[in-house]
Order: sequence, then structure tokens, then C-alpha cells
Amino acid sequence: MLKKASLFILAAGLGMMSCSKDPISDLSTEETLVYITNHDKAANYTQYKTFSIVDSVLVVENGQAGTALTELDRDVLIRIVSNMEKLGYKYVSPKSKPDVGINASWITNTYLNVVSQPLSSYYGGYWGGGGGYGYGYPSYYQYYQTSESYWLISMLDFKNPNTVDKTFKVVWDAQIRGAGIGDRQYVDRMVDSIFGQSEYLKIN
Amino acid sequence: MGALQAHAQEEAPKLYTLPSAYERYTHYLATARLMGAMPLGSFADNYIDKSSFQNYSISLEWVFRNSPISVGGELGSYYFEKRIPRALYDGADETISAVQTRTISQIPIEVFGNYHFLGKNATVQPYVQVSGGVSILDYTLYYGNLASQDQKVKPKYGVGLGSKFLFKRDGSLGVDVRVKYNGVSYKHEYIDKGISSVNGSIGLFYRWW
Repeated sequence: MLKKASLFILAAGLGMMSCSKDPISDLSTEETLVYITNHDKAANYTQYKTFSIVDSVLVVENGQAGTALTELDRDVLIRIVSNMEKLGYKYVSPKSKPDVGINASWITNTYLNVVSQPLSSYYGGYWGGGGGYGYGYPSYYQYYQTSESYWLISMLDFKNPNTVDKTFKVVWDAQIRGAGIGDRQYVDRMVDSIFGQSEYLKIN
Repeated sequence: MGALQAHAQEEAPKLYTLPSAYERYTHYLATARLMGAMPLGSFADNYIDKSSFQNYSISLEWVFRNSPISVGGELGSYYFEKRIPRALYDGADETISAVQTRTISQIPIEVFGNYHFLGKNATVQPYVQVSGGVSILDYTLYYGNLASQDQKVKPKYGVGLGSKFLFKRDGSLGVDVRVKYNGVSYKHEYIDKGISSVNGSIGLFYRWW
């Protein structure tokens, strides 16, 4: 009797663990968007007057890069320009030595995940596995791919280049992640948000 | 001679005054509970203050004969969740704007001891309970649809006050009502002083021997 009872508890316990919840299934696309901004606290933004922006979006996929200019990309670049102008910066051509440059990149990382054959020999009792027989799965593994994309927008300081390392310092950057990042309808909201939460950029 | 006398004194068994089997034997008692739980203390202040009704447990106990004590094991499933509308979170260098979904799920595994104030056949059987064990817990904090997760096994304890109500005297089925304080020692991000909560449960029990 005791043995039966403990089996019952065990079975119920496994049942409880297996009912996993998805607490974010009710989020709207807009609600999944996450805006992350970083900035150089030592930077004095008022020293910058002019800016320029890349003419296409850098697409980085698993470390390999190319450029693209889809309608979505164009929308993003145009919205960045209008936000920068609103903050008081003057838009100039890349040739006329802007104080800061804006890069926009679409970054995708693909991960390969592995799962071992998920069937425990204790699932299902159809073949009468009670006699101590389980299923003899060979140790096969299954693979599946997941990929994650995000926007990365950075501001480079062209005015104070590091002449020793030959680098331009990133004085501000923003990541946009979430479900709606590839959808043109969210572009204005996304770009306005990353600048909106970075009030220190304002110079006018 | 003495044996003969004893035999002579023996009467026909009084079936209806015989103590119940539940009094004569150590027996088993299984309870399934549904719980409402309310976060308390700094866990409520800093992480989730929303009560939850997605909590369950099952327990099995041994009720000792000639003793007001029973001991057993309880296995549960607790879940707390809170959604926070879009807000800005300032870190050391970064600022995050996101809709937060805060969750804690726990599978507590405990042993407990009950002290019963009245007999095993009273229709109302109030008891006090102390319990201790571990909680297999999962802290998942979502920023939008990005998750930051922490999974740990941590010690937990509880003290409770409850009562069993038998549907009929000497019966094997009844209702169990319990109020219990639970404390889990855990520290991560928003949770700095453990997870404390009080839960009220209603359960159904079955006893047998």
C-alpha cells in the first residue's frame, strides 16, 4: 500500500512539473519590444554639432557582414535622421567631416541546439513495459536551430579619434529587440523610443 | 484459576463501542490541496505583490495510533506572476525600456509533522504543522520577450494552522483547510531577503489503513 501511494505521489509530481507555463504569450507585438541604450558617461555631447549616417544598413549574420537597403532599412535611417535633427544636430554629408557618425546594423545570431532523444522509456505503457523493459533508443541526438535578430544603432565620435589605436569611440548605442523589429509599422515607435530615453543627447 | 476468571468476565464484543480502526491502527492519509497564496515582506515589495491561485499540492501522511502526531511528505507547485507596463530601468551604464513580466515558479518538497488537538474520530480535527524541505525554484524575469532565468534548489520551511473536517464520523473522506506561512531562502536580482508568502488552502483527504 505504501509503495503504491509513493508511486502516486511521484506520478502526480512529474505531472505538475511538466505543465509548463508561457507567461508572455499574451504580450502584444509592441509590448515585446525592448529598447536598451548605453552611453559614455564621460562624453560631453554639446561638443558635437554635426552628424552623418551610413547610407545603408550593415547586416551582420553570424559574424559575416554585408549591407542592405530595404524599405524597412530606409525607414529606420530616415527616422534616425529626423530624431537627431530634433535633438539639435545638423545633418551633413559624410564627406564634410561630421562630428559624430551613426551606424545602423541588423544583427542575427544563429544557434545550433541539441536535444537528446526525448522519449523516456517510461512514457506510455502500451507495449506493457511493466516487466522491466523500456525502449532501447540508440543515443541519437536531434538538432534544431534558433536565431535571434536585433537592431544595433551606434554613435561614433569622429571629433576625438583615438590616434594611437586608430579607433573611433562609441559614445552611445542602442539595441532594439523583440518580435516587431522587422515590421515597418513599428519603425517610428522604435526609433523614437531609443532617442526618447536618451535625453542626455539633446544639445539644443 | 485466574485465567478462568478472566474468561468468565469476557463479554460478547460490543461492536458499536469498539474504538474505530483509525484509532486502533496507524493509518495513511492522502490530501490534495488547492491554494491561494499571497506574497509577503520584501518579496512582495520588490518583486511580486500579486496573489496567485495557481498553487497545488499533494501530501501523504502517517497518522500514528495512540499519539496526536502525524508525519508526512508534501509535494507542491507554486506560481507567482506579475506584469509591469512599459517602464525605464536604469542600470550602471544602460537604460532598458521594456514591459516586465516577473515570475517565480516553485516545486517545494517537504516533510512535515502535525500535532492534532482532538481525537482521530472527531469530525473536526484542528492541528498545527511545521515543515521543512527544499524548493526547486525558477526565477524568470522577462523584458519583453527576452528572458533572464535563474534556477536553484533552496531550503524552505513552513508553519501552518489547519483543521480536518470528516464528512462523517469514522469515515474515510474529508475536507482539509489550512493557513500556512512559507519561507524560502533565496537571493537573486530583485529578491534580496528570500521568498515569503502565506497561503490558504482547501483540500480533500482520504484515509485508509
